[in-house]
Amino acid sequence: MATTLGKSNSGSAFGRSIPRVEARAKVTGKAEYVHNLRLPGMLYGKVFRSTVAHARIRGIDVSAARALPGVHAVYTAADIMRLVPDPHYGPAFHDQPVLAIDKVRHVGEPVALVLAADPHVAEAAAQMISADYEELPAVFDEIEAMTSKAVVHEVLKPAGTFPDLKHLKGKRDTNIALDFHLRRGDTQKAFAAADHVFEHTFRTQQVLHLPLEPFVTVADPTPNQLVIHTASQSPSFVRIEIARLLGWPENKVRVKVPYLGGGFGAKLYIKLEALVAIAALLAGRPVKISLTMEEQFYQITKHAATLRIKSGVSKDGKILARECEVWWNGGAYADIGPRVTQKSGFTAPGPYDIDHVAIDSYALYTNLPAAGALRGFGIPQLVWAYESHTDMIAKALNIDPLAMRRKNILKEGRPQATGTLMRDAGIEQVLERLAQRMQWEKTFDRGSGKLRRGRGIAIGFKASISPTTSVAIVNVSADGSVMVNCSTVDMGQGSDTAMAQIVAEALGVPVESVTLVHPDTDVTPYDMATLGSRSTFHMGHAVRLAAEDARDKLMKLAQEVGLSAETTSIPDIFRKKYGMQAGNIVGVGSFIPSYAPPDAQGQTDNATPFWMIGATGAEVEVDTETGEFKVARLVNLVDVGRPVNPAIVETQISGATLMQLGFTLTERMDFDAGQVTNASLADYKIPGIRDVPAVMENEAVDMVQQTGPFGAKGVGESGTFGVSPAIASAIDDAVGVRLTSLPLTAEAVYRGLRANAGKPLQD
Amino acid sequence: MNPFELAEPRTLKSALKLLDAGDESVRVFGGCTALMLMMKTGVFQPTRLISLRGIEARYSKVTSAGDGGLRIGALATLGALGRAAAVKKRAPVITDTLRTLSNVRVRNVATLGGHLAHGDPHMDLPPVLIALDAQVVTAATAGSRTLAVADLFTGYYETALARNELISEVLVPARTGRRSAYVKLTTRGADDWPTLGIAVSVVTDGKVLSDARFVISAATEKPLRLASVEAVLNGATVDDALLARAGEAAAAEAELVGDARGSAAYKTELLRVHAGRALRKALAA
Repeated sequence: MATTLGKSNSGSAFGRSIPRVEARAKVTGKAEYVHNLRLPGMLYGKVFRSTVAHARIRGIDVSAARALPGVHAVYTAADIMRLVPDPHYGPAFHDQPVLAIDKVRHVGEPVALVLAADPHVAEAAAQMISADYEELPAVFDEIEAMTSKAVVHEVLKPAGTFPDLKHLKGKRDTNIALDFHLRRGDTQKAFAAADHVFEHTFRTQQVLHLPLEPFVTVADPTPNQLVIHTASQSPSFVRIEIARLLGWPENKVRVKVPYLGGGFGAKLYIKLEALVAIAALLAGRPVKISLTMEEQFYQITKHAATLRIKSGVSKDGKILARECEVWWNGGAYADIGPRVTQKSGFTAPGPYDIDHVAIDSYALYTNLPAAGALRGFGIPQLVWAYESHTDMIAKALNIDPLAMRRKNILKEGRPQATGTLMRDAGIEQVLERLAQRMQWEKTFDRGSGKLRRGRGIAIGFKASISPTTSVAIVNVSADGSVMVNCSTVDMGQGSDTAMAQIVAEALGVPVESVTLVHPDTDVTPYDMATLGSRSTFHMGHAVRLAAEDARDKLMKLAQEVGLSAETTSIPDIFRKKYGMQAGNIVGVGSFIPSYAPPDAQGQTDNATPFWMIGATGAEVEVDTETGEFKVARLVNLVDVGRPVNPAIVETQISGATLMQLGFTLTERMDFDAGQVTNASLADYKIPGIRDVPAVMENEAVDMVQQTGPFGAKGVGESGTFGVSPAIASAIDDAVGVRLTSLPLTAEAVYRGLRANAGKPLQD
Repeated sequence: MNPFELAEPRTLKSALKLLDAGDESVRVFGGCTALMLMMKTGVFQPTRLISLRGIEARYSKVTSAGDGGLRIGALATLGALGRAAAVKKRAPVITDTLRTLSNVRVRNVATLGGHLAHGDPHMDLPPVLIALDAQVVTAATAGSRTLAVADLFTGYYETALARNELISEVLVPARTGRRSAYVKLTTRGADDWPTLGIAVSVVTDGKVLSDARFVISAATEKPLRLASVEAVLNGATVDDALLARAGEAAAAEAELVGDARGSAAYKTELLRVHAGRALRKALAA
């Protein structure tokens, strides 16, 4: 591993499709996961959950469970409050109790916890608990929640951390957790002057992440610290929030995260950690809770939403004004929903150059399982609406969908709805490359007889949540090997590999000499979280800066001992200084992008550090006799700046696309009075290998993010943006049926065909 | 899932003896794929399970019978059935059906006996075996009997099997002159139980159809032969009008049940269209 800091290594690590650093450990079953962790004296926890959607708790009978041989303890909120008087947590609102206090707000809410050394005993005991409820009227629909008499939370409790939530503190008797408004120009005047005004309403269904590794946390109360081993995407947040709940300093809480079996936004903020931590402290023994796949359906989900869009358009297809109203069904607890409402809400008009814009975006409480961040952070819902709307306008005006987009596309340097100018946003490039790959201007085979073919395109964009901080340490050992301490969680997206590549590039050392220290808040510094495709840009910059710092210090060291760092190997520099293989060079990097918060009109000149762009083209084949259809081809284009690792970028695009394909075609949480009636992988259908389109093409366009580390930016979500509307438009193109609700089912297509024929299907 | 006792008898006889004890919560399993789902959700909480996996190997064999048919041991896995050359040769419709039946992990442990005895109307092979006039041989301490697969199913998750009676073999007759097909329709992704299953089997001399079997499943409480469709097909020659008539007859006779996979009205439309397509598929087989 003898290597110099010479220029010869430059360009050798970044931009190469090196294999993932953890691939071998994973495929040989040796990678470390919290599920495999067993500690001496450990107790297993099983949660007793609410069976009703909204109720006052009259009483909880735990006597039979406590009496069961082998049960160590049974806790309710009263026990939790002995240790933590106000046990409410959450990233935006402190609204979620560790165990239900006085009220339950959704089916599946944790009400009591059983601890036992034998997990089967814990499970049996949990089944012996009963609760006496006084049921309250419940609200499930986001539109009804705007005005309903049923109120999920009597008082709003925003966390103190966000200045823009302060005005909500103490607000009573409302289900609106947050309302975000943006005004630009004068939409009313523009509508009056427009040749046409179009208005459509769209719906998306509640779905969920379903990582193959369900939620799991172990807490270990050691003499000096509480150690939490958890499958979390946000170890730093967990440490801060648990320390806040306990009233402890941060350094008394240690959070360790090995590999994750998928996250997708589910494993953010506090999930099981508060309950497990407090239970472990009460019991004085390590405690583990592993959720079953079925329990995941009640932990965190993706927002169902209703979206209304109204556009004023000139007769040649120029969009003059747009109004967007979005109602996000946040479920019983806010989680990060209010951030979705705002941070995604401001892109609701789409990647189009529109002078007059109004946006009203509402985060609503309902009596359903909570909704949070899921791969795209609200963007797929918005793109579904604005791209469907775009094609409906184009069709009405008899304008080609590509021409319609070309006419209105938001170009480099032009202001987005917030007033922020577009920079390094390859919207046009992505659209043009998509058109090329789809051969849009060539004649398309439209099928014949019973089978009709159609095609559709859709494009979306996303801002990066801002401002957020990443800190990293790069530690060069005396033999020239390098360790990177960073709290980015590799949940399958390949961040360990990407960070190693960025550090190797910045240091000018071979990528094989760099290893990652996994998140451990005792040794890896602060990172906001692994979410929203932010790591490559933010942590990428932090590790780059740390590597450059280490490199500068090595240069200085070489100079100090009279050597040239350009020609001397790293071990020789250390040996000259210390007389043997000894010492370290520690580089530190910290990154927070510049940002300007929006004013009362939602306007800012710096809304995001970078833009993510994603587009999809779909070709479908529809059976006109039954409405059955198949997606024959999906073409996915993204702008990720310069790809750190092209092979991983491709799998991120295809993975995101297939996940969104499930949300488009097959996935839907079915409810009966707030109870999920299909809470299992047997009845909630994620796409299988036979659902993958016959032809799928993924490509990152040739772009550079000038402000990114070596020109890179994030990729985790961009593949999701265009999938749903592209497929819906392709169906419309094939058979003239426009669907406005997800998921797109064969039955819905068939009903549309019958309605078009003037013979609606009678039930 | 709660702990339970597991018995692993080495012979069919001792397995039957364990069942004779009469405890209602005791169940047998072959691959345990269906029971496991019920146990995980807490719908079924056994105190004792009897694994049939250790009994005599002959109950897992797939053999060609002397009469041109098949003798299939009830413990043959669906995977083994799908790979068996004898099945492909003598009842290719079974091989074809197995391609899309559940997934490879389930097929490699689930057994034919369990697939039938579970009585779940969403299973793929019951309508196929009914269309093929297959029979099951059962075993009990009191003795064995043979009954048509068509008579095995008595209702929703209900079968004609006594509590202490097990399926030991499945007999598929020779298919002389018979052409068969199964159409599995899914509406929520390919890896799902069928929204509607259609099995067709018909004898043809090249022109005229006879001795038709038309069976539907999944959208009914048990697999069901549709006599009106069979009446339309028998003695008829195949053309588009016949296929349309078969579809109309099927839609008129069948009373389908709506669920999360589709409304009853939509499933009826699927049946109307796919009835004829299933017949086309059979004739092309």
